[in-house]
Amino acid sequence: MNVETFKYDNRIVRAFAIATIIWGIVGMSVGMLAAVELFYPGMNLNVQFMTFGRIRPLHTNAVIFAFVGNGMFMGIYYSLQRLCKARMFSDFISWFHFWGWQSIIVAAAVTLPLGYTTSKEYAELEWPIKIAIAVVWVAFTVNLLGTILKRREKHMYVAIWFYIATALTVAVLHVTNSMTMPAGWFKSYSMYAGVQDALVQWWYGHNAVAFFLTTPYLGLMYYFLPKAANRPIFSYRLSIIHFWALIFIYIWAGPHHLLYTALPDWAQSLGMVFSLMLIAPSWGGMLNGLLTLRGAWDKVRSDPVLKFMVVAITAYGMATLEGPVLAIKTVNSLSHYTDWTIAHVHSGALGWNGFLTFSMLYYLFPRLYKTELWSTKLANWHFWTGLLGIVFYVIPIYVAGITEGLMWKQFNKDGFLQYPNFLETIVQVVPMFELRAVGGTLYIAGVFMMTYNLYRTAKAGEFEPETEAQAAPLEKTPAVVHGEPSWHRLLEGKPVLFTVLAVVAILIGGIVEVVPMYLVRENVPTISSVKPYTPLEVLGRDIYIREGCLGCHSQMIRPFRSETERYGEYSKAGEFIYDHPFLWGSERKGPDLAREGGKYPDAWHYNHMDDPRATSPGSIMPRYPWLLTQDMEVDGLPWKLCALRRVGVPYPAGFENGPAQKSLKKQAAEIVSELKDGGVDTDPNKEIIALIAYLQRLGVDIKSAPEEASANN
Amino acid sequence: MEQKLVSGVGIAGLCGIISICVFVIFFTVTLLWVAKLKKNYLKYMEDLPLDGGEVHATGNNQPESR
Repeated sequence: MNVETFKYDNRIVRAFAIATIIWGIVGMSVGMLAAVELFYPGMNLNVQFMTFGRIRPLHTNAVIFAFVGNGMFMGIYYSLQRLCKARMFSDFISWFHFWGWQSIIVAAAVTLPLGYTTSKEYAELEWPIKIAIAVVWVAFTVNLLGTILKRREKHMYVAIWFYIATALTVAVLHVTNSMTMPAGWFKSYSMYAGVQDALVQWWYGHNAVAFFLTTPYLGLMYYFLPKAANRPIFSYRLSIIHFWALIFIYIWAGPHHLLYTALPDWAQSLGMVFSLMLIAPSWGGMLNGLLTLRGAWDKVRSDPVLKFMVVAITAYGMATLEGPVLAIKTVNSLSHYTDWTIAHVHSGALGWNGFLTFSMLYYLFPRLYKTELWSTKLANWHFWTGLLGIVFYVIPIYVAGITEGLMWKQFNKDGFLQYPNFLETIVQVVPMFELRAVGGTLYIAGVFMMTYNLYRTAKAGEFEPETEAQAAPLEKTPAVVHGEPSWHRLLEGKPVLFTVLAVVAILIGGIVEVVPMYLVRENVPTISSVKPYTPLEVLGRDIYIREGCLGCHSQMIRPFRSETERYGEYSKAGEFIYDHPFLWGSERKGPDLAREGGKYPDAWHYNHMDDPRATSPGSIMPRYPWLLTQDMEVDGLPWKLCALRRVGVPYPAGFENGPAQKSLKKQAAEIVSELKDGGVDTDPNKEIIALIAYLQRLGVDIKSAPEEASANN
Repeated sequence: MEQKLVSGVGIAGLCGIISICVFVIFFTVTLLWVAKLKKNYLKYMEDLPLDGGEVHATGNNQPESR
């Protein structure tokens, strides 16, 4: 038989491995800073770039796209070459991908603290960076598919299927959710508004979890687990069902992030049902992983790689059971907006993604450096420290989440809210936030142990930049492996056809979710009293977005008595038709603001933003003194109004050339006058004026014309 | 408002029925497909990651190739 000799590229694997470690430390450290700020608000040192609202997206982006992203590429670049028995399609594209991805991460690390954000969770980066992401992702996809096409192994192992699904689905999600109208170099408005924007965002957000944090890592599990255990996967049949069921169902489940919101009820039910169905394939995959170790559990005791993998797979099972449970509407009514969601996310992220990444790093470094792991004992210390870190992180936050949910809903015997002041419910859980920081510290301490261990391993060995391999070239004839060919085998032998079918599988669910989006657009009841924001309110809204206020404050009152008693009339779809983007939020560390307008005088807002504890003793909100001193950016107003008009907000033609500025000055002067009555002397051009204008507008349209509003509903 | 919203979405019910049909058909086909696979083929596929084609075994605790 003709055998070809070729070389695997280990340099690119090492580069992604080092990036994984560095960004992991950075992302987790920023997470620690955010965690501390939740019980010690002064931790931001009154520096705007370190405020919770700005660094929370930095933390989520860093750990998802920088730590897990680089970890994913590290594992894919290593396993794909060996599964295809081919070097990567193009070394140039590999390095373009690597440096492109790192540049995007650096751009995110610079722009997010500066407040350049779209506000859409896990898609916060502004449009120039979004374009760069698309370009780099296409490069990765070309390299992936190119390598598959030039492979020497006829059949595509199941791990490759997961990689293909990841590459294609992330591209579809990213493009669809990134449709924005630029209003400057680092400012844009979502093409969608209100309910449509929410649906698209959470279709994206949910599937970012599915196709960035789950499917690629499942592919990596299917490769690295058999390698580490030195035995084949428990059931290849099950892995096939796992793959197709997972990619088919996952994409439908997005609306479970919007239960009891203004989204139509039937779309919510669709999301709930498909979320429940997800238990089956997820647990099929988990059991397939754990059962692979049957008869090899003695290795788990001694091999840190397997130790980390077992916890990772178990955490995957726990998180994928809890996720569907949280998608049940009754459970969600308690859990939504609370820290329960944060605990759920972190049990998956720290356990599944974190531990699987660590296991891959412990597996790869000795092989890349042709030596043994420097210290198995230190790796075991990392394992137990990390595991304790997870426990200390999630348990207090579960307690906090359930406490918040119960306290928000508690009525006294007279039928009034037991805890009418939102602050009471937060003060109650602050000790849990402190405990969570202990868990986070332990987890990061483990990462430092690993970093030192891997550094010493690298120092002790000699890096092998390329690994020589041999395989027979691919035959052109149809695949016949141990028997007659089946259409399934032919499918596996035709990656292009396979790719098309995988795309069809994910698009079916996607279309069923996108179709409601258009249905909703046709059926959102318009409320005649709801008007576009004034120019000053537009600027105020942009400041609200810049400061990441929606990280702690929702703008969506659910139709529960506990919420309408606390906040006012429940939110209607028609209220958000001019909201580009929607700002419903997903978390409440502070009260909902949907009906904030008119609740407090302007001077209260001024003093509250200067020092929240002056007006609300015990508040964990950071101070925003810079809003009192910085001038609002009026120069960009015409761009903003034009962009908003282009996405459908009915500002009259020419409004931006004079009338808008006149309106802005008039409204600002009124607020300054109101502030003066409240004992505050300030300039009309300060940012705080715009923010007050926006906050005082929230929910006012409905309040001002209740009869008209209900008549139009 | 909710009643009007639901009744206004005329094809909502149809959408649900189509969803269920697609779901059932998809999984029936997948299960039939998987059930028909031959054991020796499955064995071949299962063993794929264990043979990376490397000429020299590398690493410490596990052989790179069998």
